[in-house]
This record gives sequence, structure tokens and C-alpha cells, in this order.
Amino acid sequence: MTGADAVRPGGDRTRSVLVALAVVAALAVLGVIGWITTPEFITYRNILNIIRAAALIGIIAVTMTLITISGSFFSLSVSQTAAMSAIAFAAFLGWGWPVWTALLAVILLASLVGMFQGGAVALGGNPIVVTLAVGAVLFGSVAWLTDNRTVRTGTYAAEWIGTSRPAGIPSQTWAFAAIALVTAVVLTRTRFGREVTLVGANRLAATTVGIHPGRIALYVFWASSLGAALAGIFTAAQFSQGRLDHFEGMDIDAIAAILVGGTAISGGEGSALRTAVGAVFIAALQNLMVLRGFSYGVRVFFVGLAILVSVSVYTLFRNRRRLA
Amino acid sequence: MTGARRLAARVEPMAWARLALFAAVFMVFTGLYPRFASANNIFTIFEGFAWLGLGALAVGITIIAGELDLSVGSVAAVSGIIAVSLVEGVGLVPAVLASTLAGLVFGAAQGYLVHRLKVHSLVLTLGSLIALRGLAFMISGENTVAMENLDIAFAVRTQLGIFSPFSLATILVFALVGFFLVYTRFGREIFAVGGGRNEAAAAGVPLVRPLVLTFALSGSIAALAGAMTSIKSGSAGPAAFETLLLPAATAALIGGVSLLGGKGSVAGIAVGALTLRCISSGLSLGGLPFYVLTLATGVVLIAVVVLELLVGRPEVRNRLRRWRTRRQMRAGAQT
Repeated sequence: MTGADAVRPGGDRTRSVLVALAVVAALAVLGVIGWITTPEFITYRNILNIIRAAALIGIIAVTMTLITISGSFFSLSVSQTAAMSAIAFAAFLGWGWPVWTALLAVILLASLVGMFQGGAVALGGNPIVVTLAVGAVLFGSVAWLTDNRTVRTGTYAAEWIGTSRPAGIPSQTWAFAAIALVTAVVLTRTRFGREVTLVGANRLAATTVGIHPGRIALYVFWASSLGAALAGIFTAAQFSQGRLDHFEGMDIDAIAAILVGGTAISGGEGSALRTAVGAVFIAALQNLMVLRGFSYGVRVFFVGLAILVSVSVYTLFRNRRRLA
Repeated sequence: MTGARRLAARVEPMAWARLALFAAVFMVFTGLYPRFASANNIFTIFEGFAWLGLGALAVGITIIAGELDLSVGSVAAVSGIIAVSLVEGVGLVPAVLASTLAGLVFGAAQGYLVHRLKVHSLVLTLGSLIALRGLAFMISGENTVAMENLDIAFAVRTQLGIFSPFSLATILVFALVGFFLVYTRFGREIFAVGGGRNEAAAAGVPLVRPLVLTFALSGSIAALAGAMTSIKSGSAGPAAFETLLLPAATAALIGGVSLLGGKGSVAGIAVGALTLRCISSGLSLGGLPFYVLTLATGVVLIAVVVLELLVGRPEVRNRLRRWRTRRQMRAGAQT
């Protein structure tokens, strides 16, 4: 995984194509299974449902992919960051702030959260523990400030953000597609993207050629927080309220999307577009299981299984190639 | 006198800081609420210590080995359901042993996979964290499993002074694990692979054994915590222990387990868990809701991480080392 080819964006070309094929094939198999077993699965209405659900998971997952590629594993605070952003957005609108001011304030708040985590990781903090702690602090302080209650916007001024459908496709989905494309271009075509990949592939080499891994950590955690904030804003706008438990389990779904998308856990290799497909896969899987009437426990079990299987398969595949 | 002094000089400065923190927390809450230091409240603190301490021990051992087991909460939940379903048929000890054994086997398999797949334990245990949670819902039929006869539950939580059979069992487990880690070759190997995996391998430590042992320990200890806590309360819910990881990791880190691996002690983890339980008990005596405890735990965790980063900086480390050498020389001069 280290070595010259990993520095190239996306890593070894053939390997990258194979993994991408595997992700798309998994989605196709799921689609065919759903099509055969469940008549209401492949309908215009239901596909719209899937891509709307995939959008929120996807926005969070695609931005978190940067963290994973840079070698900092995951963020365990994205669902709390999204919930905080939703509640803050609802509260700001409720105080009568104009929509743009509220948006800006939420983005500023999320930036602070992201930069703090990035800074702690830059100083050498373990990313999992840092984000676990920040998630707890966000949850605790937001619950305390709101008395653990739902916050209503009390206005329809921002509803268009969450409910409009340009060209018949939900605004969330447009944002998801745009973010996935921009992240993919940044990762593969810009200096910053290559630096992120190099830091994840070989931290020592990156330092030697003058890249500061701490600076990269700062930016990737910032990006991930902004993604979570966007998901929060969309949700608050759609339902005209912010709730603390609205994003429960969303971090797990996002991480599952990244892993199904075949991004290397140890960093240095991955793709925003594959994560996007992974997000659609997870959303479609959840949707199909709900349609089939699977109980909550069985659904959770299968998401966990999807993670275990994809991690094991990709890891064995990588190990074999390294040995060859 | 000199023996005590030499012993004191051997304790690390950070260990003194941990004890001081514990004493400070204890004293502040005793000052705020006179009830805090009553025998009944200390009993309650030890009851909480029993499950949190076991959780912290399970997570802490994996951090010492340079890994991180995220699945402890789900292991505890599954084990709790197994134990509660079995206990009325087979009795307390076989039920607890059976569920602990299930955790041991599962953990050993996890450790083997971590070694075999060369995948970071974080990711593998994240998968099992979710899959086992799903399993907990499936085997319990999505409902809380309850015992009909609560005699065994009462027996487990009988108050013996400030202890119960449960907290005494926890203390015994701490002693056994502490002995195992410090005085056996297998235990030492866990520290070795945590401190420097390549160095350990170069020195001839077979990597598979310490990894399997580490996860077998964390799986069985988490399962024990789940089984005992569930039997004590007479019921086990599929969503139980969902938030075990946060306080468990926090307690282990307060207790001086280093995130860099290879460093930490069972006594430290015990002090860390006790400190966190005192904070929790004090906050609930003050009538604060549960999310304030989450907030406090998060703040403490951030503080510990930042402190470790600062202490890890070379200039601070050198100063600490000089201070320790001086104390040891002084202690030595007086013998």
C-alpha cells in the first residue's frame, strides 16, 4: 500500500478500477435481488426515496472519506455535529435571523468544531478518541442548552432549502452529487488532494517532502464538519425543526458507505465517487429491508455484516496483491 | 519508613496526579453534598464501578496492546441477554461462565482475524459492534428479556458494607488480570506488542498470541460485565450498554493508559473508573440530568487527551524525568 503507486491519486489504476467495479456490482446485485423479490422496490417513487436518503448519508460519507484517505480513520462526531447544526439553524431562524445569516452562523459554528478536532489530531491526538469526546461534549451541551427538546424554526423562510426539487430531483440529491464531484476532483486533480493521499499513504515521506501532516488533518476534519453541518441544515429546513436524535446511526451508515466503497482503512487510497456509490448501496439496502418488513435488529445486523464482508474482502485482496 | 519512601519514589509522577484528581473529586463532592461520603453512597459508587471498571479494563487492555476494541458495548449486551435467559435454568455461576466463555471465544476470533487480515482492529470491531447489536435485537426478539424469579438478582446485589458480591467479584477480576499482565510472560507480551510491534517481533514475540489473548480478555471481561450487570438488574435489553464505550475509554485514559500503546496499569484503570463514578454520583446527587454526565465525561476525556499530548512533548518529558531522578536519588541517599 505504501510505495510509489499509492501516491498516485486513487492508487494503482487497475486496482482502483477493480474495486470500483466491485462496488457497482454489489449495488447491481442488490438492485436485481430487490427487483425480483420486491415489486415496489424499483419504482420511480421508491428510487426517489432511496436517493433522498442516500443524499444525507452520502454528503457526510463523501466528506469523511477525506479523513479516511488522510490516514485518520473516521470521525465519530458527525451525527452530533449534524444534530447541533440542525438545532442551531432552527434556533437562529426562530430568533428571527435572516436565512443567510443563520446559514453563515451555522457554518462558522461547525467550522470551529471541525478545526478543534483537526487541531487536536494535528497535535498527535488519536482521531477516534478525540471525535468520541467532542461528540459527547456536543451532545451534552446541546441537550443542556435546549433542555433536550425539539427546536422549531417557527418560519417557512428556509423550507425551500430542504423541500425544493429543481428538475424533479430533491435539492439534497443535487448537493450530494455536487459535493461528490467536487471532492473527487479535489482528491485526484489538485495539489491538496495529492497531499491528503500522500499523508495517508506514507506519513514519513510526506513530511520529508515538506508536507505538514497537521495542516492536512486540520483541513480534512474541517471538511467533514462542514459536510455534517450541511446535512443538519437540510434536515432542519425540510422539517422546520431541529432534533437531537434525528441523526442517530447516521455516522455508522456513513462509515459503512466508506467501507463498502473500498477506501483503504489505513489511508492513502480511496475515492469519493466510490464512497458515493457506497452511500447509495447502504441507502438502498436499508430501504429494501424496510420494504421486506425486516425488523430493526435484522437491519442493523445486515449493515454490520456488509461492513465486515467488504472490509475482509478488500483487505484480503490488497494483501494478496502486496504479496504478489 | 524508608521502604515506604522507596515505594513512593517508584510511583510515577502522573500516578500521583491521578490519585490527587481522585481525591480532589471526592473531597469537592463531599463538601457539596454531605450524603456523598455516606456508606450507602459509596456502596452505590462501587456498584457503578463494578460494570464501568470491567468495561474500562476491557477497552484499556486493547489500548495497551496498541489496538482499540470498539465492540465492548455490544458484546456486553449480547452476553447480558444470554446470561439472563440461562440463569433461571442453570443457576448463577454456570450462566455467568457460559456467557463469559461466549465473549472469550468471540474475542479470540476477533484477535485472530485482526492478526490474520492485518486489518486495523478499529475497523473490524466497528463491524462487530454493529453486527452484534443487531444480533442482540434478534436473539431477544427486540424486547427486554426479564427474569421471573428475582432471588438471584437480589443475591448478586446484597449490600455487604460498601461492597456487593458483584463489586467484590470485579475487584477479584482486577487483581487476577493485574497479576496476569505484570507477572506472566503472556501478559508482558501484550505490553510488548503495544509499545513497539516491530521491536517485539524482532525480539521473537509471536504476534498472534498476544493479539488473540488481548481480544479474548477484552471480549470475556466485557461479557462478564454484561452478564453480571444484567443479572443484577433482573433483565437485559437489546439496546443496553450502547453508550459503554465513552465512559469505559475515558476511565481507562484517566487511569493512565497511553493511546500510544504499551503503557498503562490495572491499578490506574481502577482509579480512573472510580474517579469517573464519583463524578457521576456527585452530578446525580446534584439532580443534574443524564446528558450533563455525558458532557462532563466528554470534557474529562478531552482534558486527558490534551494533557497526554502536552506531557508527551519532549521538553515537558525531560523536566519530569529529571524531577523523578532527583527524588529517587534522595530516597536512595537516605537508605
